[in-house]
Amino acid sequence: MYGGGNTFEATKAEDLEQEDAVKLAEFEARIAQGEKIEPDDWMPRLYRMQLIRMIEQHAHSEIIGALPEGTWITRAPGFRRKLALMAKVQDEVGHAQLLYSAAETLGKSREEMLTDLINGKSKYSNVFNYPTYTWADSCIISWLIDAGAIVNQMANSKGSYGPYCRALERICAEEAFHLKYGHDSVVFMATGSPAQRQMVQEALNRWWSQIMTFFGPSDKLSVHTETLMRWKVKMASNDECRQQYLDMYVPKIREIGLTIPDPHLHKNEQTGQWEYTEPDWEEFRKVINGDGPCNAERLGVRRMAEERGAWVRLALKNPTAKYVRPLA
Amino acid sequence: MSLKSLDPRINRMNLPDGELPPMEPKAAFDQFETFEVFARKRDKTPFTYAGPVHAPNADVAFLFAKEQYSRRSACSGLWVVLTRHIMVSPYANDDENIYDSFEVEIPEDTTWPLESYEVFHLKKRGKAHTHVGRIGATSYQEAYHKAKAAFAAEHPAVNMWVVKSKNVLQSAEEDRDMWLTLPEKKYREPAAYKVLDRIKKFKEEEEQKALTK
Repeated sequence: MYGGGNTFEATKAEDLEQEDAVKLAEFEARIAQGEKIEPDDWMPRLYRMQLIRMIEQHAHSEIIGALPEGTWITRAPGFRRKLALMAKVQDEVGHAQLLYSAAETLGKSREEMLTDLINGKSKYSNVFNYPTYTWADSCIISWLIDAGAIVNQMANSKGSYGPYCRALERICAEEAFHLKYGHDSVVFMATGSPAQRQMVQEALNRWWSQIMTFFGPSDKLSVHTETLMRWKVKMASNDECRQQYLDMYVPKIREIGLTIPDPHLHKNEQTGQWEYTEPDWEEFRKVINGDGPCNAERLGVRRMAEERGAWVRLALKNPTAKYVRPLA
Repeated sequence: MSLKSLDPRINRMNLPDGELPPMEPKAAFDQFETFEVFARKRDKTPFTYAGPVHAPNADVAFLFAKEQYSRRSACSGLWVVLTRHIMVSPYANDDENIYDSFEVEIPEDTTWPLESYEVFHLKKRGKAHTHVGRIGATSYQEAYHKAKAAFAAEHPAVNMWVVKSKNVLQSAEEDRDMWLTLPEKKYREPAAYKVLDRIKKFKEEEEQKALTK
């Protein structure tokens, strides 16, 4: 679900002049022709590092994103909602598995990725550092955060790296249910009793600024961004994704009588662009760097699962194992 | 002090609050080896590459694979292979056939009898490998040559995988009822949510309210 472009500042600039010029030209020609890159192909270091970072973050976001929603499974209103939410959360964890494997084809092991997650070295989508106070918060995530993730993932599925495309194809197919389920559960409350309407409006009020930060700050235009776009690693700018999202979802939110808590939000008919109150990027930076309401809880829970499950993995360990990275 | 959460289950875990020392890096193989999984949508369709799973052995890999790759879509069979048991050719360009450019020598000290090998082709980069057939050979190299003779012309490929049949854990015919769980879980299908009807009804009611005011 959660491929947020939110922490997408580029990896340390790599000097492309250090790369083999002939191989680099072949690599770029392949992408220009619309061919996919497969794990055995030569690739520039910057391409490899940026993809590892991006796919790994995407995987962490899936596994951490399962926590704020999973917390509502036991308290879901009714058996049908409970079944659906369980299935959805299971999907998210499955997506993490697919993505860790896709990142692994680039040379970083799953052990390293999980260690970096728990030690705070790699990031996940910042929206999951906020709590889900009520059932309605989990509905808003299922609909409107998943919707954002789908905008991102549809763009990325047209990228150049074969294993990531294969994983995203499977993920996008499963997300169709999440979006519909999320929409249904929000609509159910928004068209329900006054108390239900109030509850879902309050959840929207809490989540709107997180939704606006979901795609990340405006990209700084740099040579680097241009290179990553040419290599079809980054498929759309953060602002393009945000605009597309507002186009698609503002009408759907308003048609069910909910109010978006931003009095400045409107579409400028001349430019065709949405104008809005800038979210608090200072807070965004503070939270993503560890100082948010749920950072400690999210990593604490992940670490607990890791440490308390260690004996099971140790008992199952095969002493004759030899590591090779996944093939595709 | 333990960590405070809105979730009572997390409070019951008594997780430590405050800064923790960094976790020791996970040891090699803590996440096990990888297996590659092939799935078949229907009885007549070929087995197609689904993706990898991490597992301590083939049986567990099969269980994980079933969860991961057959949970949400039609499936009538699964194959599971330890990644390092698959021999992989180089990758050609999309407009080329790998069999035209890749050569291997058949080792001289091959041993009889023939063993069975499974052959998989990748038609186009970014797509998934598909099973094209089974051949008998005395080595991976010979299997490559025989695959070339048998499949290269009819099924051009940018990449081919070959694996000994005995190294493929295959779902059994007599267990086929394990694939019958999907229809019970309609709540995982987008079509199960008739949200537009509800929105339409809501809008009509709002209009009525506005008229009667």
